[in-house]
Amino acid sequence: MSSIILEARDIRYRYPRGMEAVRGISFHIRKREKIALVGPNGAGKSTLLTMFNGMIRPDSGTMLFDNKPMQYDASSLRDLRRRVGFVLQNPDRQIIAPTVYQDVAFGPTNLGYRDEEVEETVTRALRHVGLEGFGRRPPHQLSGGEKKRVAIAGVLAMDPDVLVFDEPTSGLDPSGSEDIMELLDELNHEGKTIIISTHDVELAYPWADRAILMLNGRILQEDVPEIAFGNPESVRRAHLFLPTLLELHQELQKRGYVPDDQKRPRTVLDMMHCIETLLEQYAVPKACGTIMVCNAEPDWDERVISWLGKNNGLPVGAMGTRAKQRAESSGIPLTFTYGVIDKCILKALLGENSLILTTSSMIPRVQKRVEAYCTESGASIPVRLFNPGLPDADSPPSPEA
Amino acid sequence: MFEELLEDIAQKNGLSEVHPSLKLIAGLGAIVLCLFSSGFLPPLVIAFVLAIAILVLAQVELRIYAGLFLIPVWFALMGVAGIILITGGQDVYWQLDLLPGFALSVTRESINQGIYVFCRVIGGMSALFFIALTTPMTDIFSVLRKVQVPETIIDLMMIIYRTIFILLDQVIQIYHAQIMRLGYSSYRESITSFAQLCGAAFIASWNAGDDLVRAMDARCYAGKFALMKKSRPVEVVPCLVVIAFLAFSLLIVMATGTIILV
Repeated sequence: MSSIILEARDIRYRYPRGMEAVRGISFHIRKREKIALVGPNGAGKSTLLTMFNGMIRPDSGTMLFDNKPMQYDASSLRDLRRRVGFVLQNPDRQIIAPTVYQDVAFGPTNLGYRDEEVEETVTRALRHVGLEGFGRRPPHQLSGGEKKRVAIAGVLAMDPDVLVFDEPTSGLDPSGSEDIMELLDELNHEGKTIIISTHDVELAYPWADRAILMLNGRILQEDVPEIAFGNPESVRRAHLFLPTLLELHQELQKRGYVPDDQKRPRTVLDMMHCIETLLEQYAVPKACGTIMVCNAEPDWDERVISWLGKNNGLPVGAMGTRAKQRAESSGIPLTFTYGVIDKCILKALLGENSLILTTSSMIPRVQKRVEAYCTESGASIPVRLFNPGLPDADSPPSPEA
Repeated sequence: MFEELLEDIAQKNGLSEVHPSLKLIAGLGAIVLCLFSSGFLPPLVIAFVLAIAILVLAQVELRIYAGLFLIPVWFALMGVAGIILITGGQDVYWQLDLLPGFALSVTRESINQGIYVFCRVIGGMSALFFIALTTPMTDIFSVLRKVQVPETIIDLMMIIYRTIFILLDQVIQIYHAQIMRLGYSSYRESITSFAQLCGAAFIASWNAGDDLVRAMDARCYAGKFALMKKSRPVEVVPCLVVIAFLAFSLLIVMATGTIILV
């Protein structure tokens, strides 16, 4: 278990107009955790979030950051806000400067970076969120999703340890939401602690490490998502609904098809595993397909494209902002753009091969996820590194092979 | 909306990569030359050259440019009509005695004066449009900084520029919401609706100001505003073109100062 980074001890807060928004909350968040704060409107989620970077000071109780009580003098607040980045729900409220470059540079400039450092951080932040070359554009010409990315880049440029998102997907279309959630995953993978508030149960359920259900300024339940969302009573009280997968699993359980102690499914892949265990006696053992992982960072375009030309119809998934951009710029049609690893495992279980385009830092994650699934389910799915530069050693088999 | 249209063209036109200082020098220089010109011909020549530059070099559509240009032309025509009627002169072509001591007349001198004013308006407007259509506001900020305009003023300009579009968006939304509920259906109704629109816009801008302060705070504001990346160096060819254009215009101003039409 990693150490605690944020902690609240019995905090209370009343708005000047008299409404008590937070009524005695205690919890802690560990480094590198993904936390979803879920609850109906007016539950006090946003109020609680704004306490994380000291925008609101609790009336009573203590907020701790990195095991030290938060101080509310100007210089401590500056340091706190550098380390806890806050992305507002409405990016128009967050973007200050007249061009994308200037806006992302806002934080670093005020932190006193030198000009070259500012330029470097801004370039890196913009590349991270997939907005390279947008520097001179004014924000009002961007789409909702792009504005959101600018807001995120502006926070990333300060290199915070914790990222707090108030309703990160509000106002975005489903695919834009998935993109943002994947970006959050990427950031988490790089070691950032991520806290989001949301109403969207289906989105939070597979994503979060831990879910905190809030109602009327109190914590209703706090646990791993399978448990937190699995209690129909508290879910109903929090004005939410059960995630479809969980509801389906519970119905199967009630009918005695799956054992009570079975792990609850988080993803479609988990659900398939449940069903296949259920049907084990009928299942025909078959050879699994191969998952090929391709590093999209070096110059690979031509070889991959020609290889894909030969293997027409092979499902291709892109993971991460960079990989998606490269696929788009080289005209590779993508079959999967989110939940890529799970979807490729599903393909492999059907005996089909697939290719994942991603960046080098994410390759171990693919391997880990597939290994974890294989140990759990007993299937054996080969993961191979696709490298068009070494045709002898690593040339992947054709889908039929 | 109109201001967005102008900004959009300025952001992506054929000349957007040219150094903003050059475009500003060309535009402002043209305005000054139009003001110095004592004849009607130089402003027309300047207007023609700049129109070619806007249509060919900046690749602005003729339809859009003509539409934009017609607006000031109508105003200019109305103003010039007044000038022609009121200005007196020796060679009277037509006269109407309205009141004792006040007559409307069309004279040789007044026609010349009218044509002169009209051409200067055309010249000045094309120079202004040249700047507006080729130079984004954001580029102008960096030029202002280079010519030592105080930081505070530029920072304020940048924040104002950014918030204009947010407020404009909100005003449009409120306006549409009013129309959908038959807000401007009668004259009386229009007055009430417009008053409500103003009130709502005021409250929205007040809130936006609050939010801005909070957003800047949350992002460690310490009194500094980021600069744009170092802009491109001034290239030789565009520089020569601008010098040639201004020199040519100056020559025309000096050579054709005495020519009059009637």
